[in-house]
Amino acid sequence: MASKLLTVVVSQTPSKNPAKRQLEEELVAALMIDDAVDVAVVPHLYNLDAAHSGTLFLQALQGHLVVLSWMYSRAAHWLLDRSGIKGHQVETLFDGQDEGDEDIEIPEPQGVGGVDLPDRKIYCLDLGVDDDSQVYLEEINRIGQELRADTNPTSGTLDLTDWISGSPKPEQLQRYLDPLSVLSGEGDVEPVKRRWYPVIDYERCTNCMECIDFCLFGVYGVDRLDRILVEQQDNCKKGCPACSRVCPENAIVFPLHKEPAIAGALGDVGALKIDLSRLFGSATGLDAAVAERDVELLRDGRDAVGASVGMPRRQTDRDSTQRDELDDLFDGLDAMDL
Amino acid sequence: MTDNLVFMMGEYEALVPSDRRYAENHLWLQEDGDALKVGLTSYAVRLLQDVFFLDWTIDPGTEVRARQEIGEIESSKAVSSLFAPVDGHVLEFNDAPLEDPSSINTSGYDGGWLYRFRTDSTLLSPQDYLAVLEGGWEDTQRMIKGQLN
Repeated sequence: MASKLLTVVVSQTPSKNPAKRQLEEELVAALMIDDAVDVAVVPHLYNLDAAHSGTLFLQALQGHLVVLSWMYSRAAHWLLDRSGIKGHQVETLFDGQDEGDEDIEIPEPQGVGGVDLPDRKIYCLDLGVDDDSQVYLEEINRIGQELRADTNPTSGTLDLTDWISGSPKPEQLQRYLDPLSVLSGEGDVEPVKRRWYPVIDYERCTNCMECIDFCLFGVYGVDRLDRILVEQQDNCKKGCPACSRVCPENAIVFPLHKEPAIAGALGDVGALKIDLSRLFGSATGLDAAVAERDVELLRDGRDAVGASVGMPRRQTDRDSTQRDELDDLFDGLDAMDL
Repeated sequence: MTDNLVFMMGEYEALVPSDRRYAENHLWLQEDGDALKVGLTSYAVRLLQDVFFLDWTIDPGTEVRARQEIGEIESSKAVSSLFAPVDGHVLEFNDAPLEDPSSINTSGYDGGWLYRFRTDSTLLSPQDYLAVLEGGWEDTQRMIKGQLN
């Protein structure tokens, strides 16, 4: 079996929405007859647990990946990363499309970054961007051409043995050699149940530990490098995105949350103007987070703690008298073309 | 209007007139017959800049709770929902800023008032409101900067 340069993974919607299903089917049908790519279908990535055959299959893939899923690309990338499907996040032409004004720059992420990234590229495309399958096929084609142009012809032929580096587990190799049950998208794909847990974007996470202080359900822990991680994801309370709200870097993503900023959208989606609602009396993110946490504590039969535990420390040590760049910035508001 | 207070927003002087009371969400409230007129403070208007659009999502004569969302406002620089200052009763809306929102900029403490309101809740004195501004200024700047980034 010859391996292709690129594998395209279609991650299915957890919903039964016929329009979404149809888009997936159109894409798979078109990609199956494309000689340039391998195609695989897996259930929604967010619902795959570590032991699921879909997870093992994806872990066994060694080449470049295009992942089509019903999530913001950032959410999909870090979801894969936490499942051990690692690679370099590459922007696609889809990224930045819906971030509105080009003049509004999103700051370079200052996070700790991913670790142990293999030399492979992962392109995540959000299936919510367009309902025309052709749009995705064109982008996949463009990515394929980009990769072929990048490939050093002296590095050898693109066959299976090139992709399998290290020592894959026997079951991973088996999945790779006989992936038909997954590839076909038909038959008995292992059922998944709905899950709910945070995904950390390590490009943005600065390891400040505010999430571990705020969450009282023991979801977070640290790894051997003292890096924050989602340790007990099943302790997480379904529907509660409170830790995402307290994260000062917007590094905590709940891919299925209804608010774009929590689901992994970058910047203020579609918003070109400053939102002053907080000034005029809306609940702050922190208020909302405290309220959400209290609801879950009470459901667990524990006492609500309000704002007495795990509050962000970041505003306590400021010198409020010294003029700084913020004052200049504010005085310059008039001159800004927003 | 003597002894008006002033809050310095950078180099801009935000006036806090002493002839009325205030709410933390940057509204002023002034006796008007048997009710109160409510409007946006100079501080709020400075942050909004040129107001283009004002709309109410409740009908006149509605009982509201503190911080209940009652309308929205859009300006050259910002958008925002508008919220009730305290528990009370919104009696009627001022047509002037609905027809020409720029009256909020030109006469925010006067003809650009927003609605008539009745409440039994405690309101802030000008000094109290000034303290609110002093306490929140840094945070407000950070919020704006965060959104500009």
